[in-house]
Amino acid sequence: MEEKVYIQLKKKITVEHNHLIKLDHIAFVTGNVPYLEQVKNIKIYQITEQDKNVSVIDGFHLLDTLMVSYPKLAFDLIGPNQVIIEVKKQERKANIFIILFIWLLLCVGSAMAIMNFHYDVSMQEVHQSLSLYLTGRETEKPLWIQIPYSIGLGVGMILFFNHIFKKRFNEEPSPLEVEMFNYQQDLDQYLIHHENVLLKNKND
Amino acid sequence: MIKGHIFHTFAEIFIGFGSGLIVGSGFVAFLAVLGIIPRLVQLSKSVQSLKYYQASVIFGAVLGTYLSFTSGTIEVPMIILAFWGLLQGIFVGMLAAALTEVLNVFPILMKRLGIDKELLWLLMAIVIGKILGSLFQWIIFVDKFNS
Repeated sequence: MEEKVYIQLKKKITVEHNHLIKLDHIAFVTGNVPYLEQVKNIKIYQITEQDKNVSVIDGFHLLDTLMVSYPKLAFDLIGPNQVIIEVKKQERKANIFIILFIWLLLCVGSAMAIMNFHYDVSMQEVHQSLSLYLTGRETEKPLWIQIPYSIGLGVGMILFFNHIFKKRFNEEPSPLEVEMFNYQQDLDQYLIHHENVLLKNKND
Repeated sequence: MIKGHIFHTFAEIFIGFGSGLIVGSGFVAFLAVLGIIPRLVQLSKSVQSLKYYQASVIFGAVLGTYLSFTSGTIEVPMIILAFWGLLQGIFVGMLAAALTEVLNVFPILMKRLGIDKELLWLLMAIVIGKILGSLFQWIIFVDKFNS
């Protein structure tokens, strides 16, 4: 039987600074060659300072490198075509004051946004005429509608996001989590196009 | 003269019906884009009741239209007003949350500032901001500056 090595690239890996990347790190490898361990340990790429915090290794160029070392061997690449390598940086702890500032920014910003929204749709007048219809009396401030309304506003947002602080209503992801995931995928797609290391070295 | 009168009536019916048709479809499209109904279905796991929800939205829209044009009044206890207000609040809250969602504000903010872990607290900032802003407006703000 023909000797063949199958390689399935991982989607994304995280490595330490100045890590020497071997085939085994970036892919799942199997095959019917006796020296499979040796193939797994082949050096692929040395992370340097220049790589900053992210690099991409392309499957095609990986094959190119492997062919140089094992010209007689057949390789089969399955799965993703690229692997994204994330270089671990020192745990950057977000500053508590920055978080506090953003918290205030979001809080005041949404307060103003909702007030502007209420003016925009003339909610005060709608509440007044609704109150007139339901009670038969003119009211300047229909607080019986408006205070529950304000509380409901918060409840509605929490329902939408599926969270009360740490507690969640069910195990399904919330729209926000899905959105974060999609955003990460878009970022990864961008990186695959713009950070291809083996490709870069060829062009230099 | 009679002929002209009939023509005007028909024109009015035609214009009214046409504008209602467009506003109605716009309203449904708006709800559909924001995905509030799917979200509620997902939370309550009640896909089978979807057609009742649709009927409810249509009935609600027609009821709202009636309420905007009527000049009559009824008398109900205050607790109904409070319940009504609460329901409106939940609905608008979901609308507001969905709008934040559509605009994609969060993922970018979180990623840029490296604060994915504090996400929930920041969400709460928005929720609390909305409640406080709303209460402030109805209780204090309208008195001083809106009369």
